[in-house]
Amino acid sequence: MIEVLNLVKEFPKKDGSLFRAVDGVSFSANDGEIVCLLGVNGAGKTTTMRVLSTVFKPSGGTATIQGYDIVSQPEKVRQNLGFLSGDTGLYNRLRAREFITYFGRLNGVSDADINARMEEMAELLDMHDFLDKKIDFLSSGMKQKVSIVRSIIHDPQVMIFDEPTSGLDILTARNIVSFVRDCKANGKCVLFSTHIMREAERLADRIVIIHRGMVLANGTLEEFRAETGQIDLDDIFVYYVNQSNMEEELSADEF
Amino acid sequence: MNFKKALIVYRKEMLEMLRDKRAIFATFIIPLVLYPLLFIGFGFIMSRQTEILEERGANIAVVDSVGTEISAQIMENLKGIENFTLLPWDKSTQTLMNEGELQAVVSITDSITTHGYQVYKVQVKYDSSKERNQLVYGKIRESVARSKEQSISAELQKRDLDPELMNLINVEAFDIASAQKRLGSYLGMIMPYIMIMMLVAGAASVASDIVAGEKERRTLETLLVSSAQRKELVLGKYLTIITAAMANLIVNLFSMGFSMQYMLGSQELAMGITQMPITGFLILLAAMIPLATLFAAVLMSISTFSRNNKEAGSYLQPVMLISMLLGMISFIPSIEINNLLAWVPVVNIALLFKAVLINEYQISHLLITIGSTIALDVAAIWLTIKLFNTESILFRTDEDSSLKHARKQKGVLFNGLNGLIYFALMLVLMYYLGSYLQGKDLLTGLIQTQVLIIALPPLLILKVFKLKDKEILRLKAPRIRELVFVPFIAISGAILASMLMQLVDFIYPLPAHYLDQLGGLVKMSDSIWVLLGAVALAPGICEEIMFRGFMMRFFESYNRKTAIVITALFFAIFHLDPFRLAPTFLLGLILSYLTLRSGSIYNSMLSHTLNNSLAIVISAFAGSAWLKPLLSGDEGFVWWLAIPAAIVLSLSLWGFHKVTADKNEEIIQLS
Repeated sequence: MIEVLNLVKEFPKKDGSLFRAVDGVSFSANDGEIVCLLGVNGAGKTTTMRVLSTVFKPSGGTATIQGYDIVSQPEKVRQNLGFLSGDTGLYNRLRAREFITYFGRLNGVSDADINARMEEMAELLDMHDFLDKKIDFLSSGMKQKVSIVRSIIHDPQVMIFDEPTSGLDILTARNIVSFVRDCKANGKCVLFSTHIMREAERLADRIVIIHRGMVLANGTLEEFRAETGQIDLDDIFVYYVNQSNMEEELSADEF
Repeated sequence: MNFKKALIVYRKEMLEMLRDKRAIFATFIIPLVLYPLLFIGFGFIMSRQTEILEERGANIAVVDSVGTEISAQIMENLKGIENFTLLPWDKSTQTLMNEGELQAVVSITDSITTHGYQVYKVQVKYDSSKERNQLVYGKIRESVARSKEQSISAELQKRDLDPELMNLINVEAFDIASAQKRLGSYLGMIMPYIMIMMLVAGAASVASDIVAGEKERRTLETLLVSSAQRKELVLGKYLTIITAAMANLIVNLFSMGFSMQYMLGSQELAMGITQMPITGFLILLAAMIPLATLFAAVLMSISTFSRNNKEAGSYLQPVMLISMLLGMISFIPSIEINNLLAWVPVVNIALLFKAVLINEYQISHLLITIGSTIALDVAAIWLTIKLFNTESILFRTDEDSSLKHARKQKGVLFNGLNGLIYFALMLVLMYYLGSYLQGKDLLTGLIQTQVLIIALPPLLILKVFKLKDKEILRLKAPRIRELVFVPFIAISGAILASMLMQLVDFIYPLPAHYLDQLGGLVKMSDSIWVLLGAVALAPGICEEIMFRGFMMRFFESYNRKTAIVITALFFAIFHLDPFRLAPTFLLGLILSYLTLRSGSIYNSMLSHTLNNSLAIVISAFAGSAWLKPLLSGDEGFVWWLAIPAAIVLSLSLWGFHKVTADKNEEIIQLS
């Protein structure tokens, strides 16, 4: 369960003024639901997710993960959170098994539970061949599988995927997509970001369109279609972006 | 804070380090293989070479122009030297000598003393620049000394005297230094440097990879999202660097000690080392732990700050270099640890090490050294944890590199980098040209330095770049209500600075001639007005133009505090006087504040001039009773004066702050 309320994140610019990367974002995601943050590059998706994963501190507003506040209980939040992004790196000198065990232990999981979970996941993702190989020797698809197991080794209730398929080949990307579906099937709460419309269309139960740090629309694809009269998500997205630009111009005219 | 998690991080980092072939090679293989090869190989070649020289012997030409029993005895003994070939002196001798075929020419002559004795002179001609010839000369001298003994002894017997008479007076040296102390003084010179070098090299070998490497490989974010706390991550990584540093040190020392023992064979030093108990080594190693922790913390904060391995590597270089230079202090003879040096990192450990080895150290030095090292250590760890919580540092990417940022500002003269370059250039100019000018005639030199080196360059630069010099230098009339506070600030500031100076003198007694410098100037000059002009008014105007007018502009783009602190620091360093660093820094802070706050450089010019004038007046009228409290040393120094001075300074600064409040926004923005 994720609840985000009026989240603001500002970064100082070189000239000393502040740049609002996230500007009053609110949304929520329930257990057993896939919510997709959809937006162009630089819309504020990654920043939002980094704030949710407590890597960034919010400049304003708040959010809770499984009821834990991201500012006051960051360790609790991280314990209940699995995080996976497309460009996550791995420790090349470790074996896959050691790598996963390391993150399991860091998240406070007992060795017995780590082993049990690893067995289970290795079975599921067909990883037995390379579990004891050094990560340096693995293909990018194998590496991504290792990252998947790493992200879920502490059995978090909330999963955050930050553009998990970016830069991956089609077969590896499919692994991710099916993993996201599995998470939902297991009753987890999934937050997923992408700039690829098709991915959002196929996976999301609900879509949050985010642009210039602000939420433009929040609903199911059906609701969007009804509201905008457009069928394709591409067109729906452009519709909302244009609408917000027009509003901005209008409000600028008032002055 | 969960130490178990820090331990998990530590174990993983160690595992990764042990899997790194490069690190293993550098830490273990190289020292274990290199030293034995180096020392044993070197030792072997050296002794073999000596043997060869012995075997080759020498060709010497001899000429005995006396031909008595005694000279024959000398010749006989020379002939007896193993592997020596004696050639008679002839025409070709000089040529052979020049060609290097002859190692020496020995000629025996005699003369008669005033008492009628026949005395002999054995002249040995040889070229001492060749090692072989030195060896030959040594053997000849030995042989002649033997002849001398034999002849005198025979001569004594002839006169019915006991040959024992020859040993009438003997010199015997009795070294009261114990073997341990002798060894200590020798080891104390080289070991601190070697150990410091190994520590820092070991730490650096893993430090850059440990955080900057994680940034580069994009693993840092994954790590940050785990439920471990930042402190736990920092601690685990910190312990890894300490381990690497200590491991490097131990392996190197072990290998070096072992090899040295072989190389030096029976020599005294090696004997000493073998006699040195293992506990002694352990104590020395334990003494290096605080330093290892300090290096680890400093290097780790650098690694955390850097974007990638490469950047970290280039930042680590100067740190390593500085550490090594500081460690070299133990090479300087007769420098011993004292209360001031005990505060200087690295230097204190090096000197303390030396003192411990000869078993002459004070507990206070030990405590200050360990205390200050740990304090710095804690500060560096704190900084690392803070950096670990600073988003802009953790997620610095290659794109927004500061270099690019600087390049973007290319058109702008006033940025930090240019400020630094300008300062460095001026420092060099000051060091060489300034000391040259002042060396000719001190008073004229001081004025020339002020005008030519200090004030002229900023004015020229502003002209060349066609900048509005009045605005930039803040040549703007101050208001009366501002000026009213300046004398109070200047005088109380000067008193506090002088107190600081006394404090420095107390911790590290200044050389006597140093204290007399200003007094000497006063005596030298005919008129106090000339002196005031050269030492108070000229710096008041020129130094203010350079520092408050020009230099501060470079750093104003950061923020006011940074600009004030950096300008004051540069101001202090510029005086090229380590003793006056602290007082000058204090003055620099006050002066920078005055200008930046009021927008008028005349305020700091007045304050600076007053401050310097006060110093001259005190020196000139040192006899006056009311000035005595301000004077140093034996006159009896009044500490409580610091309290009213501090009160006056705070009050007048507060007043100044108040009256300039509305000018706050008038800082000229330079783009």
